[in-house]
Amino acid sequence: MRVTNMLPDMQYAIQQSQQNLSTALQQVSTGLRVNKPSDDPSASANMVVSLAASANVDQYTSNVSSVLPQMQTVDSAISSVVTSLNSAVTQGTEGASGTENTADRQEIASQVQSILSSVITQANTSYEGVYVFGGSETSTPPFVAASTTYTSAKGSASSPLSTTTALTAGSVTTISDATTGETMTFKAAAGDTVATLQTAIANAVSAGTLSAGTTATINAGGQLEIGTNSSSDGIVVSSNDAALGSMTAASGTSVANAYAYVGNSSVNTVQVGDSMTVATNLPGNQLFTSGTNVIGSLQNLISALQSGTSAEIGTATTAVSTALNDVSEQRVPLDNTISQLNSQESYLGQEKVTLTTQQTSLVGANLADAATNLSQAELQNSAVMAAAAKVLPETLLQYLQG
Amino acid sequence: MASLGSALSIAVQSLNNATGELQVTNNNIANANTAGYTREVAVLNEATPVQEGNLSVGSGAVLEGYQSVRDELVQTQIQQETSAQSGANAQLSAMNEIQPTFTTSTTDIGTEMSALFSSLSTLSTEPTSSSSRQAVLTAGQNLATAFNSASSTLTQQQTGLNTQVTQDVSQINQLSQQIAALNPQIAQLKSTGQDGGTLQDQQDALVLKLSALTNVSVTQTDDGETVTTGNGTALVEGSQSFALQTTTGSDGMTHVLDQNGSDITSSLTGGDLGGTIQTRDTTIPGLLTQLNTLANQFATAFNSAQATGYDQNGDAGQDFFTIPSTVAGSAAGIKVAISDPSLIAASSDGTSGSNGNLTNLSAVQTNALPSGQTPGDAYAGLVYKVGSLTSDANAESTATTASLTQLNDQLSSVSGVSIDEESANLLTYQQAYEAAARVVTTIQSLFTVTMSMGTAAAE
Repeated sequence: MRVTNMLPDMQYAIQQSQQNLSTALQQVSTGLRVNKPSDDPSASANMVVSLAASANVDQYTSNVSSVLPQMQTVDSAISSVVTSLNSAVTQGTEGASGTENTADRQEIASQVQSILSSVITQANTSYEGVYVFGGSETSTPPFVAASTTYTSAKGSASSPLSTTTALTAGSVTTISDATTGETMTFKAAAGDTVATLQTAIANAVSAGTLSAGTTATINAGGQLEIGTNSSSDGIVVSSNDAALGSMTAASGTSVANAYAYVGNSSVNTVQVGDSMTVATNLPGNQLFTSGTNVIGSLQNLISALQSGTSAEIGTATTAVSTALNDVSEQRVPLDNTISQLNSQESYLGQEKVTLTTQQTSLVGANLADAATNLSQAELQNSAVMAAAAKVLPETLLQYLQG
Repeated sequence: MASLGSALSIAVQSLNNATGELQVTNNNIANANTAGYTREVAVLNEATPVQEGNLSVGSGAVLEGYQSVRDELVQTQIQQETSAQSGANAQLSAMNEIQPTFTTSTTDIGTEMSALFSSLSTLSTEPTSSSSRQAVLTAGQNLATAFNSASSTLTQQQTGLNTQVTQDVSQINQLSQQIAALNPQIAQLKSTGQDGGTLQDQQDALVLKLSALTNVSVTQTDDGETVTTGNGTALVEGSQSFALQTTTGSDGMTHVLDQNGSDITSSLTGGDLGGTIQTRDTTIPGLLTQLNTLANQFATAFNSAQATGYDQNGDAGQDFFTIPSTVAGSAAGIKVAISDPSLIAASSDGTSGSNGNLTNLSAVQTNALPSGQTPGDAYAGLVYKVGSLTSDANAESTATTASLTQLNDQLSSVSGVSIDEESANLLTYQQAYEAAARVVTTIQSLFTVTMSMGTAAAE
């Protein structure tokens, strides 16, 4: 073949070798084999998925860190309740013995009373402003001292409310009953009046949600009055209805040792793994008022101590003891969750390492290879340059002149 | 009968021939580095011999003309390869502009999508925290912005390529005119049996430039070269050139029309114009469709999840994202619909402390969209496509460059000027000239001898 001009070939060879050099240099300096999608489209796509998984693992880890203290708060509150109940059982057993006189029992009753208020304090525990036993009603204390009667802010003798007074559509009125431990929620629809609310209350009484005798009436002062008609049944009423105004307990109607649960049964869950979620709260009604009923059993013990027989005190003490077992049982899954969270934290740490390793193998450069490539590319580049420098200036004319 | 006079005329002819050869060599050396130059050689033939009785005596050599040394086949291959290279380069340069948007960074769609789900997860640990709610809103806005800017990168490229179409077409028309103008001149030279020479070189260079713009096919006729586009639209016939026209189509894009007004946009392939049209009309719209579908389906799924819950005021969740009514334009038009953090529907029961609906919102990350893929996988698919389109264009460009280098070597081995060869020729022709000059000197002295013959005899 006739060779006329070697310059274009040389230029091409130099460019190729410089491109190799630049690629090798980039891999060594960034530590990455894939710097842009076109370097390895498939690895880049896998990287997107892997990075998303990584971000999730980071988030799960952070969730574990923020959920764990809250769970620990819940656990320590329950632990205090267990201690309190234990001491209530001791007190009850002491009170049930025939050797105690009335004054002693009154004394014991007042001690149990202070145990009850300490249980209520624990039941109203909050963590960073969140009431942990209120279900998803986290902004207000879930256990509220109950009264027999609530009256509305609106309405007066001169301008009384009536059964035909229209309620604001969408407004919510709730009545939480300390005796039944349940809550009636009334959401006003368009066209609803005070009479509709009255019917709803009557229905709730029939259904057993509210204690028998609970009614809503217009009192002499023209206000809406919701009451239980029994000095021992306490309720807590709240309303955001504009026509009624806020509902407040009538003075002197509070029921001793009665607390109504104004939270709900919702359980919040938080994801701490791709397939692991944990419940972060324990609704207070499940723990304190339903089933064996911690608060109810303490109330009964107090009244038995105040006015009951030894046998009645004994029965009430047994009930407290059953409630204690129940609470201890409910604590078990919670403790399990806490220990799961601890092990999940270390699992997530491992998972993160796995993902990082995967990412490195997807887009990272093998440094030994990259360094070898770089030195090879350097060698090749200087060889090409040297060859060009040697070959290009050679012409016949030089020899003819020489 | 042979005479000194005829011998002298042969010698003079030789001097002329050598001068002609030196002239060609000189021209070759002068054009050694001229792009598109085809080396020339002097064509010498034996002169018709003179018949003297029974003897036939040679009468020297005749310089018939100058011939360019061409290889039309390789020339055609170079034109085609140039077309392919320019086409690949046009696609590569567009993809290189697009690629960074889809490269993992702190603001790409994939990262922003992860950030949104992370912020939702954080909110699930503290559903009433207004700062966590604000973080979700901000993450949502960042994701919308990432979609917006990806879409705008693609459409800006499309607009840029659209301008390129107009420029390419105007260059094609200019080149067609110049090629057509050369045709009659070359045809005239050829009709007199001469070589096209420099004019042919010029025309070849113009055709090569034209090939870089679009794929053309060239046929030789008596009237010169006929040039058509790859799909057969005539550009040059004899001395006539046919201008392509551009018009804005109903899609807002510039379309290319032949001289009869027929739309030939989609049939143009190769060259910068072909690559530009391919990228503008196929590659980018394909990516845009994928991006818009993802934005639309993601926003729709997120809004549906939002609608199943309640905001902090206990009201049913309203749309989180606003998207255009059609899929097209979704990535450009997506934005966060709410500005009040309390409107994030975290609650499943209407109470502000519930985080039940965040499970539904987070599930958008892991549930398949109507496209059959999760949002993350759909985005990964998009990244793969951008990467493979870029790397394909890159491979094509590298391959055609290598093949073009080889073809140019081949062509230059036939048509290129070798300085060494010309230097050797220079010596040869110099010697030929000197030899012919010596013959003239010899004949001159013979003439002198002849003239003084009588004088010498008289002495």
